[in-house]
Amino acid sequence: MITNKKNVQICNGVNFTCIPNEKFKTSSISFTMFLPLKEDMVSKNAIFPNLLEHSCERYPSLTALNKKLADLYGASVIAGADKIGDFQVLTISISCINDKFALDDEKIIFESANLLCDLIFHPVLENGKFRESDILQEKRQLIETIDSEYNDKRVYSKLRCEQLMCKNEKYGINKYGTKEQVEALSSEDVYYAWKNALETAQIEIMMIGNNDYGLIVKRFQDEFKNINRENARKIQTEVIRSCEKHNEYKDMMELKQSKLVMGFRTGIALPDDEVPAMRLMTALLGGTPSSKLFLNVREKMSLCYYCSSNYNKNKGIMLIESGVEHKNIEAAKGAILNQIEQIKDGDFSDEQLESTKRYLSQMFEKVNDSISSLDDWYVLQSINEKINTPEQAIEEINKVNREDVINAAKKLTLDTIYILTSKEEN
Amino acid sequence: MEKIEISNKQLNEKYFHYKHPSGLNIYLYPKKGYSSIYAIFGTNFGSINNKFKIGDSSDVIQVPDGIAHYLEHKLFESEDGDAFSKYAKTGASANAYTSFEKTAYLFSCSKNFEESLKILINFVQSPYFTEETVKKEQGIIGQEIKMYEDDPEWRALFNVLNAMYNNHPVKIDIAGTVESIAKITPDYLYKCYNAFYNLNNMSLCIAGNIDIENTLSIIDKELKPSKPTNVETILPQEPYSIVKDKVEEEFDIMSPIFYLGFKGKSDNLWMSEEKAAYIDIILIAVASKSSDLYSILLEKGLINTASFSYEHFEGPGYSSILFSGESKDPDEVAKIIREYLSNLLDKGLDEETFIRAKKVSYGSYVKEFNSVSALSNEMLNNSFNGRELFKSMEYVSKAKLEKANMYLKEIFNISKSSLSIAKPRG
Repeated sequence: MITNKKNVQICNGVNFTCIPNEKFKTSSISFTMFLPLKEDMVSKNAIFPNLLEHSCERYPSLTALNKKLADLYGASVIAGADKIGDFQVLTISISCINDKFALDDEKIIFESANLLCDLIFHPVLENGKFRESDILQEKRQLIETIDSEYNDKRVYSKLRCEQLMCKNEKYGINKYGTKEQVEALSSEDVYYAWKNALETAQIEIMMIGNNDYGLIVKRFQDEFKNINRENARKIQTEVIRSCEKHNEYKDMMELKQSKLVMGFRTGIALPDDEVPAMRLMTALLGGTPSSKLFLNVREKMSLCYYCSSNYNKNKGIMLIESGVEHKNIEAAKGAILNQIEQIKDGDFSDEQLESTKRYLSQMFEKVNDSISSLDDWYVLQSINEKINTPEQAIEEINKVNREDVINAAKKLTLDTIYILTSKEEN
Repeated sequence: MEKIEISNKQLNEKYFHYKHPSGLNIYLYPKKGYSSIYAIFGTNFGSINNKFKIGDSSDVIQVPDGIAHYLEHKLFESEDGDAFSKYAKTGASANAYTSFEKTAYLFSCSKNFEESLKILINFVQSPYFTEETVKKEQGIIGQEIKMYEDDPEWRALFNVLNAMYNNHPVKIDIAGTVESIAKITPDYLYKCYNAFYNLNNMSLCIAGNIDIENTLSIIDKELKPSKPTNVETILPQEPYSIVKDKVEEEFDIMSPIFYLGFKGKSDNLWMSEEKAAYIDIILIAVASKSSDLYSILLEKGLINTASFSYEHFEGPGYSSILFSGESKDPDEVAKIIREYLSNLLDKGLDEETFIRAKKVSYGSYVKEFNSVSALSNEMLNNSFNGRELFKSMEYVSKAKLEKANMYLKEIFNISKSSLSIAKPRG
């Protein structure tokens, strides 16, 4: 579908991509930095996108900045930290309505792009570092964000399982770091992290919607002229392909429902050729409302409201999540493992396989109809050796056959079982 | 079939409203350049419709709490199999939801639209409830209810509704309780189905890559004749007074979560479209990121940018303004918001803030036209509350400061506000 994707290399390791599309009424520009996930850097990195998001030299307070954004018809800036494989991914992006909907002929997109550059490259500095008051404000907020991961038990149990499973790997590091690490941050630390990211990260700039990118590219080129990019480098994710035996962990809280999360090594990760097969296997197992987990563990056995599987192709792991009655944990565990055995034994129909392919194909095709999906689709692939369009991804899925799915399932090894359950056993 | 074209020149957008002879309202929104389609079939029946009269009968039927949501789950099963397995043949992603005032069944797809549409229209019109199938669902919905009982944010919302509303059923959890759903029988489900799932009480809304004539002819063929049924929901008298001004509940969480609600006066209907548009602007002026209130709360370290939000929470017979988020000191947040508002009620909004808020509101409407799912859902909402997308935008652009200040006084009454806190144990 997208034939007119355009790429411009801004400088070493900084790529600009434009996906013009007139059907959208808005445009977006995202700036994403890929850095190695490292214990001693993780909090320093995680905090600065939020710091950049909230002020800049030209608009030195949050209120001044937000008034400017409101004047641009509610343009919105979003910043955050995430992790993909062993990369820490830092993003700051802006989205706005297109110029033709301006009521007073404002150049909304160009102004928004410039504002984004102001935020990224020209933060408010005091004595050559970030303002202390800003750092304090962002430290408090980041600590609250870490706390909120604990508040949501579905999110928390998934994170705990990943963290326990990958405790000896980079991927086991929380994307924000720990509260103690955040607490200890100094203004110099964060300033250095910001500088380091601009100099060494792999950077993908993605503009979607608007087609007029000449001046915007120039602005980014001008900004990077002042930045030494000689040390920019690529990194690789460590993939553990299998494990000997599994570990089980249990945490106690006062809850009405227990959470069961099972982590598997899949033996398949990017750039392996079998990735589409593992993706299809995971969807067949627990990725759709006609998947084996949904039909059996939920519909037939009435054990849970949700029971789903998710494949992380960058890290080569698969997680199965469910919320169950305390007394049904063992039953659910057994039922889940049984469904995996069935796939290994080829106990699924061709029709089930075909319907899963149809479902995935249409999910991929729908990516083309949403700016944020398009942005995610291409930006997250920018670290891969090969970048697929949604159409190529569909083609890959359709090539997978029954044997491939069985073989993918046979590579699964259970690594970690995590249970979050109630203090009172009932 | 009666056809009305609804269009907006400035946005270059249009859609069509058809009144089918069966009484069904059909809204079709072809979107050029999009490859996907989103269809939603809804009835004006939600959790608040728990007491009603049918036709001329004077008998008042009272049904167990959570029945609209239960019916939603059970409707997926027809005598000839469940809807998910039928959708598996087309590859559409299907889902459904129940809210306070409606139940909706939906799918999105990029292929086999006609087949999926037939499935949607057919299963929603083919109820099949037996003792056995109804009983089976209790385990699944029971787990859904327990999942929400562990969700501090959801609980804080219902606690604030219970603190504000004396009698209105909006205070009852949409899914009911484990005890209330135990009372649900096939007979109750058929009663509700026959009362509310008649085509006069329903709308079908589709947006995306559709051909109008073809779509209409499928709809026409698949609709079953439906007897026009008049159903009248009986809502209790709701006094303007609140129940209590503060409520707390403890959870296994790190940081407190709050809801602060300001109860508005309302009769048992939806409020006017104009008033709703004004409230939208007022809330942007009062509490959006560019507002003074927001920056005061943030500067004092009382809210964070990731979680603070506000909404106009409204439906038939209820309208209130809710502020929510995480805060280490919700009492202080409530105190500051109340003080700020009582001060603002005296002096009113200023011109500059008001104009800026209008711009932001306009921008948020423009954004909506990007998404086929947002458009379909909006058409469905509007078909039940008597509003219309372009008209709402028009009210925004015509809004005047004096009138905004009049509405400001109406929606914020400090003595009619309640604070709900979900707090850490201990």
